[in-house]
Amino acid sequence: MTQTKESMNSIYPYLEEDSKTAAPLYQLQKAVVQRDCKTVKELTERMVKEGVDLFRILNQGLIPGMLEASERFRKGEFFIPELLMSSRALKFGLNVLRPLIQERKNRGLAKVVIGTVKFDLHDIGKNLVIILLEGNGFEVVDLGVDVSPEKFIKAVEKNEAQILAMSSLLTSTMSWMKFTIEHLQASGLKKKVKTLVGGAPVTPIFAKNIGADGYCREATSAPSMVKKLLGIKENEGESPFKQDSTRL
Amino acid sequence: MRENSTERRSGKKVLVLACSVMEKEIRQFQNGRLEFKFFDYGLHRTPENMAQAIQLEIDKASDEDYEGIILGYGLCSNGIVGITSKKLRLIIPRIHDCISLFLGSVESYQKQSKEFPGTYYLTPGWIDKGQTPVSKFKSYAQAYGEETARWVLHEEMKHYTRIVFIDTGVYPREPYRAIARENAEFLGISYEELQGSPNLFKKLLHGPWGKEFLIIERNQSVRQESFLDL
Repeated sequence: MTQTKESMNSIYPYLEEDSKTAAPLYQLQKAVVQRDCKTVKELTERMVKEGVDLFRILNQGLIPGMLEASERFRKGEFFIPELLMSSRALKFGLNVLRPLIQERKNRGLAKVVIGTVKFDLHDIGKNLVIILLEGNGFEVVDLGVDVSPEKFIKAVEKNEAQILAMSSLLTSTMSWMKFTIEHLQASGLKKKVKTLVGGAPVTPIFAKNIGADGYCREATSAPSMVKKLLGIKENEGESPFKQDSTRL
Repeated sequence: MRENSTERRSGKKVLVLACSVMEKEIRQFQNGRLEFKFFDYGLHRTPENMAQAIQLEIDKASDEDYEGIILGYGLCSNGIVGITSKKLRLIIPRIHDCISLFLGSVESYQKQSKEFPGTYYLTPGWIDKGQTPVSKFKSYAQAYGEETARWVLHEEMKHYTRIVFIDTGVYPREPYRAIARENAEFLGISYEELQGSPNLFKKLLHGPWGKEFLIIERNQSVRQESFLDL
């Protein structure tokens, strides 16, 4: 996959310039950024009908649009309403793709247990990760917010999950990721499940120091990170989001 | 600052760089040696911009003859991470955010957040900045209509179970209390009041700086790790 040339449009990256589907994919990105649910749904349906590869619609249309919205939020150009409305628009597109992707896989790709850590109730990012993982065909067990290490571990055992994903928004709660991984280690499950961490205050160094297997800077990089951790190949070649996720 | 407080009169001024949400609480401790510069309350939302804005003022201050710099900021979503002072010593409260300052200690905030993690704190300063659920709803509704505003606010606030009004003692209590209460009613969640304490503000601005503070020596940087064992 090639990255966009500056000439195309620097704010909507990851689009192949010389492709027949470039224009609708670009429109799809734009519709996510502009929070236009109706257009996102219509464009996605149209492209599916025209036989555009599902993962191409996902990885070059919907996800780059959401990434752009997230970047604008990070820069302070978007606020919580815009971020939430872009997530909602994204969901309209993913709802079109999800049954088709799952049909193709015949079953869930893998099971992910997810939650915000103990004492953290901020779940906007986590909910976006769920939308994205489900849209990619993963089965997600959402434990909600304020999840204790014990609860995480019970859910991993009960569901035989391959991935344990944790998020936090507060610097005061992020240490609970560390405690959860320590509990996991103590219970002998650390080797059976890969841990993935993210959230605004989480840094790659922190993730590495606490022994997490993966870190996502952006919610949008979660699906490709999960695939990487599990050794699953992307259907459409490699995901374009390598630069946002780090295998530690 | 060689000494451990701002009380002794060396003649040099101490620069205080702080968030405007606590301007009034901070100004009450003017002892003739402090010089204030207040920043926009919304900087914590964009931590990278926050560090840049503060760094710029620190760099500017290096050319002036200050004794040292006090930050009226905690870790604030990593908004002070990476800040370095080449010439002047930095004094920083070892706190995650301003609520510890308003309540007067790290311990009292920790007690609250463990017992009631779903607390939305309001102080007169935050209310004046329009950072209440009711004001947010109004501005969302103006931009996107009532239905969307209701959905957004629900998504943003659904896990909060109580509003706590902290009376910091430097504003008239009644009008702010009424607004805080109105917000709890609007969300249909419980309402409580806590008496703030000026203790941590006082220590921050006058010293002595014990273990509740980080003292960043010249050419050292502020690091996230220094706050994580709190």
